[in-house]
Amino acid sequence: MKILLVEDDRLIGNGLQVGLNKSGFSVDWFTDGEEGEEALYQTAYDAVILDLGLPGKDGMSILTAWRQKKRSEPVLILTAIGDVDNRIKGLNNGADDYLAKPFSLGEVAARLNALIRRSGGQSSAQITWRNITYNQNTRQVEQNGKPVTLSPRETALLEQLLLNRNRVLSKEQLEEKLYSWDDDVSSNAIEVHVHHLRKKLGKDIIKTVNKLGYMLED
Amino acid sequence: MKNTSLRIRLMMAFIVIFALFGGLSAGVSWFETKEKIDEFFDTYQIALARQLSSVDWADLDDDSQSRTNRLVKNIQNADDEDEALGFAVFTRDGQKVFHDNENGKNFYYGGYIGGFMTQTVEDEQWRIVWIFSADEKYIIAVGQELKYRNDVIWDTLEEFIAPWIGGLLLAMLIMLGIISREFRPLRRLSTDLQNRSASDLSPVTSDGLPAEIEPLVKAFNRHLAQIDSMIRRERGFIANASHELRTPLAGLKIQLEVARMDGIEEAARNEALDNLEQGLARAAHLVEQLLILSRLESSVFQNKLNHEKIDWQILAEPLFYEYQKKMQQKSVRLSSDINAQGPVAEGDMLLCSLLLRNLLDNALKYSPDRADINITVTPEKLTVSNSGISLSPETLSRLSERFFRPAGQAEQGSGLGLSIVRFIADYYGCSLHFSNQNNIFTAEVVKL
Repeated sequence: MKILLVEDDRLIGNGLQVGLNKSGFSVDWFTDGEEGEEALYQTAYDAVILDLGLPGKDGMSILTAWRQKKRSEPVLILTAIGDVDNRIKGLNNGADDYLAKPFSLGEVAARLNALIRRSGGQSSAQITWRNITYNQNTRQVEQNGKPVTLSPRETALLEQLLLNRNRVLSKEQLEEKLYSWDDDVSSNAIEVHVHHLRKKLGKDIIKTVNKLGYMLED
Repeated sequence: MKNTSLRIRLMMAFIVIFALFGGLSAGVSWFETKEKIDEFFDTYQIALARQLSSVDWADLDDDSQSRTNRLVKNIQNADDEDEALGFAVFTRDGQKVFHDNENGKNFYYGGYIGGFMTQTVEDEQWRIVWIFSADEKYIIAVGQELKYRNDVIWDTLEEFIAPWIGGLLLAMLIMLGIISREFRPLRRLSTDLQNRSASDLSPVTSDGLPAEIEPLVKAFNRHLAQIDSMIRRERGFIANASHELRTPLAGLKIQLEVARMDGIEEAARNEALDNLEQGLARAAHLVEQLLILSRLESSVFQNKLNHEKIDWQILAEPLFYEYQKKMQQKSVRLSSDINAQGPVAEGDMLLCSLLLRNLLDNALKYSPDRADINITVTPEKLTVSNSGISLSPETLSRLSERFFRPAGQAEQGSGLGLSIVRFIADYYGCSLHFSNQNNIFTAEVVKL
């Protein structure tokens, strides 16, 4: 899952980036409002975390601009506790959910998952495909009812494939979803993760489509 | 001093004045009426006595007998029974020879003759006139009961004094009513104020209040407005402060969670812990700055400030020493030209040090590595400038706003430093200017 984070506070931004990364999200973090706004037009994000109290171009204007340009990515706004006015204004301007500072990392992850799920028309956190069950909230993978241990990247890769069943995902698309722009990605990273997934879940689950990419086929 | 109601005092004064005036007038009237009525009755008694004196008492013939009887009848039937007139005739040696068969029966001769005297007859006071008969052989006594006279006096007084007293009482009542009515706005005002909740600081209405009270109400309202704005300022400050503290707290919380995450690498954990430490220092700094600012604004603190001569050289030295290490870390070059006398010649050492510290801290924090910082103090102004920074005019104009931090700021300041500088400069009657030319940012504290 690829997340756009626009937050000027260094500690919050850094904490969210590191913490969400560990939870299997890849986070692009911008401290400047205008750069953050522009980033949404350049890359496909699954969700956005937007701080309303940004210096320069504030979060509310960015949100309004995105919605005017028909960008429909789910947006989670960060407000201060008790700042009901801005919360209401944010929701009216097209935000999908809000979090009041100070919030916990787990809550951010849970809300992001819920937002992404809802935006994909999926209401349950559980995805079942063949004998594999994946829970988006706990990020647990089970095969035939038995837990399978996967690394965060492997989980994220499987999640992308599960969410896009019967569709071919290119290596580039997967890289974009799995890594943030400042991550150092080796050229065969995706191949390595696919290799590991096949080893853990069975050889035939991920289908390689020649020169195009990978897919899960019913 | 005891606080007595002005209304009650005025009312008491009016009642006393009315009572005194009314009593005095009634007394005078009574005295005058009594004199007139006494004179009238005395004349009447003398006239009657004269009539009786012409009777030949030695030889009362039929004609004179019947005349006397008629006279007696007249006296007895006159007007009303209370008139209580009586007469008696004595010989010169005091033998009663004739009387009216009623009141005069009990008159007795006491040797007095030729005028009026008061005699007690059957426990009643009688005013009796004694004269000789025409032949000087007999003594005629005509008397009237004093009680009756007094009744007449009172009746007369009642008739013309009653309306007057009534008028006086009515005037007094009207007066008391007016006083009561005139004091009603004051009573309403005090009830209003008593029933007010502690948080109600809306102005008191002066509608309908007498002009004498209006200045008082105005002064009171001015005071209320001052309290109101003070409370608003405090509330705004607290709201701002708690709002501003939430961001560093959110950062701390997230970093702590990251450090505690399962399976996190050692390096990432250490980084999170470093971040926590920095964040804590920053939050502590913010709290400290907030306290300084709120203390600066309190009058209690302001009253405790010293008024000493400020030597800016002595003031600057420890600051330079304190910031030496930080400047070396950033390879910042510091140049200074400090005159002992600055724009604040007399004031509080600590406050002036705070002003310079915040300006220096600001310059150091927001200048890039290898920047030049210059501090100049002259009796007219204090200037702190640093190179390598470019701010928009909009940012410049908002710099000393509370909690304002320019966009894209990597350094995490409290956003209060320049507010503190502005406050101290204002307090000592100086103005604070910011300018930014050729990538040099300059803050000036100018003596007005």
